[in-house]
Amino acid sequence: MNRFAIVNPGLLTTFQDLGRTDMLKYALSASGAMDQMAVRLVNLLLGNPESAAVLETTMAGLKLRALSDGWIVVGGADLGLVVNGRLADMWTILSIREGDVVGFNQPRFGMRAYVGVSGGFDAPLILGSRSVYLRGSLGTALKRGDKIRSLESAEMRASKKIKLPARFIPKQDMQQAFRVLAGPQMDYFSDHGIKVFSTATYTISPVSDRQGIRTDGPPVERVKGPDIITDPTPMGGIQIPGDGVPIILHRDAQVTGGYAKIALLCQADIDRAGQLCPGDEIRFEFVSRQEALTLLKRQKKALAEVKEALAA
Amino acid sequence: METNFQPVIRFLGEDSILVEFEPVVSWEVNGKVRRLMHALEKKGINGYRMALPAYRSLMVFYDPWEISDDGILSAVQAALTESELMDEPEGRLFRLPTVYADKWGPDVARVAELSDISTDKVIELSSNLKLPVYFLGYICSQAYMGGIPKELQSPRHKSPRALVPGGSFGFGGPQANILAVDSPSGLNYVGRTFVKVFNPDRFPPTAFSPGDFVQCYAVDEKTAIEAGKKPMEDFIEPLCHR
Repeated sequence: MNRFAIVNPGLLTTFQDLGRTDMLKYALSASGAMDQMAVRLVNLLLGNPESAAVLETTMAGLKLRALSDGWIVVGGADLGLVVNGRLADMWTILSIREGDVVGFNQPRFGMRAYVGVSGGFDAPLILGSRSVYLRGSLGTALKRGDKIRSLESAEMRASKKIKLPARFIPKQDMQQAFRVLAGPQMDYFSDHGIKVFSTATYTISPVSDRQGIRTDGPPVERVKGPDIITDPTPMGGIQIPGDGVPIILHRDAQVTGGYAKIALLCQADIDRAGQLCPGDEIRFEFVSRQEALTLLKRQKKALAEVKEALAA
Repeated sequence: METNFQPVIRFLGEDSILVEFEPVVSWEVNGKVRRLMHALEKKGINGYRMALPAYRSLMVFYDPWEISDDGILSAVQAALTESELMDEPEGRLFRLPTVYADKWGPDVARVAELSDISTDKVIELSSNLKLPVYFLGYICSQAYMGGIPKELQSPRHKSPRALVPGGSFGFGGPQANILAVDSPSGLNYVGRTFVKVFNPDRFPPTAFSPGDFVQCYAVDEKTAIEAGKKPMEDFIEPLCHR
């Protein structure tokens, strides 16, 4: 069913889901939404599978005109959601009528908002995922005039709650240091360099994208490199290229690379990193593998609690 | 060096183990990576997810909620021991029709000049190469190949081209690739194949595997373009010798 016409695609709007996570063997990055917890929550509220495709829109400008009646939920970054020019609630099931205009008119917090529809968007399924991967020409960004469809399921129903309870809304506190684990080439950096990396403030650079979140800040001193024999670069890897300033590899990152990696972002902080905006100031903090696993476990538990609360 | 070096095995991130062999780019060392990957896949370890190889390292992903640290570590160690005794599966030879020079291979003249041979000789030598695939990496199943002989080895461009078309075949130093998709690159591109070496509309998206060999043999433009209509498997030929 036709759901929306794109009146304005904004800076960048693509279909995303939870990515093609098992394609790494074929050297294809997973892609998928930069903030996947937001996607899961949006879909759970709508009663969709957690992996249903949503729109990921970046910063500003997206405007959609509804082509049919239906439900939507918007989550992720607060970009100033408006329906027919009036402010509307995020993390809430909104009933949209044909002709309604859904837009974003003022970025307030975060980088990427997610628009989900009941049934999920009917984007092309490529190698097990509907996520667009621009560098690999897997799908394209939405453009003005595109008409986008949703999948219809026989048993379409939203969750029993119409609003995500406030305690489950992700906080995304950027003051909190980004927790990292030791990277595979720690020995490429001097003690001083490692100290700078783990104490300095880094500012998110405007040239960041879905592949890499670039920073500006004090260079990390090396004892060798920056080039290494090309090796695997896991998502969340933090590489230090020639200029010495960290790049956090994110969902669309290449799967192997030739720069030394000082650290790996904890998986529990990957979604939060996906909401970083140019100009945000961040710090990195080394934690132990046990702590990282505990953080991850806590996140899984929170998700299980959401499911329980929405089903009740 | 090879006999004394003990592979370094360590946990990386929350859910992977990195195994590193000698820090060199060599077909022999890469063979250890390929055999270890093969041994792991054959074992069917509970909680094993996948492995990502590179020149001399293998990153092994697992599910930390399904298998303990000790469990995965001893499984990887066991696979390593087994891999030292096993033969790796026979690689296949992909013979890809390739149109050389002019707009399809803008760097033939540069390689000729740097190597002090004729452009015809560059094409003849390149066309006969059977290049080994070390691993698939970077983006979109990009095959990392090596084995460019000394006489053709040329430095990369100082400043990379902003966009080289997918299917372009080129090399820099001993290393070579066929670009999977349009990409920036600093290699010297000598030809173009229209056979899709990356096709996301099919699973798996590429037929290349580490351990395979690739020959980009010279044909005319029409033949090269015509070949693009066939799937890449149609270009596998028996490999007579390594």
